[in-house]
Amino acid sequence: MIVCVAVVGHQNNPLYIQSFTEADDALKLHHIVHCSLDVVDERVNNPKKTGPLLNETFLGLLYPIENFKVYGYLTNTKVKFILVTTDLDVKDADVRNFFRRFHAAYVDAVSNPFHVPGKKITSRTFAERVSTIVKSFGLSSAV
Amino acid sequence: MVREVSESCLDNLLTEVVSCYCNRFYPNKHDLAARRIEAIGYQVGHQLSERYTMERPRFNDHLEAIKFICKDFWLELFKKHIDNLRTNHRGTFVLQDNKFCWLAHMSIDPLADSSKSADGSASPTAGNKATHAMKMHLYFPCGILRGFLSNLGILCAVSADILTLPTCAFTIRIKA
Repeated sequence: MIVCVAVVGHQNNPLYIQSFTEADDALKLHHIVHCSLDVVDERVNNPKKTGPLLNETFLGLLYPIENFKVYGYLTNTKVKFILVTTDLDVKDADVRNFFRRFHAAYVDAVSNPFHVPGKKITSRTFAERVSTIVKSFGLSSAV
Repeated sequence: MVREVSESCLDNLLTEVVSCYCNRFYPNKHDLAARRIEAIGYQVGHQLSERYTMERPRFNDHLEAIKFICKDFWLELFKKHIDNLRTNHRGTFVLQDNKFCWLAHMSIDPLADSSKSADGSASPTAGNKATHAMKMHLYFPCGILRGFLSNLGILCAVSADILTLPTCAFTIRIKA
């Protein structure tokens, strides 16, 4: 189950953070997202030979913490998407699919002429699309 | 080749934008009008860069980004490639388009040319005015290029020259 998704701009400024748990640990999730930014920078600057290629957008599993797994994705415009999930058996293809749909929703939100680049995304449509994508995450693998 | 309605709409809109900014909003301040038009282009380029770099892996260096502009980006915007790319390998790139579609329907008034032989002093201003008017139409695509590159993290200055209608060249100077 996905507990949190975040969009972080190229100056590490948060553009959108949304948690999907009823528990009141939003602060802890924000902290996890913040720590993962360092890991993203490290992955991009020092590519591991066995890991993904240097210029691929999907960065894979960044690091496991407590009972969460954190996945990262870096776009061409240096915008980072962070995904925090509690699922134990997450398939790579599912996460890639998730990020692809999330990226499409993000591009549509940023193309809004009333959106100011660098400020938080306040579009309700974007929030709804994200919650739809989050709900359908992992359901296809159950079939 | 079939021409889409939206292409004609965009052509007319851009012509009207330039005319509005130059004649109505900032009547004698052409620099200010040019900067405003370029800023509109900047925002458009910013947003287009998110959309068109979505499917691609990240660029390794500036040259790859410029080559992407010449091939894929220009193809998406104008249904053709850039015809000629030159670089001095020190941060300056010149992109030449031999038939830039937003200049394709423009022409210089032939009366201005014929008055060249009659009155030498009047024609340079008439010819200059025409080139100046056409140059105003190039600020928007310059803004698009600058916005596109700046969203990729490449700060640059973009300027355009008209060689012979409808050929034009965009010069991108990357700030080191």
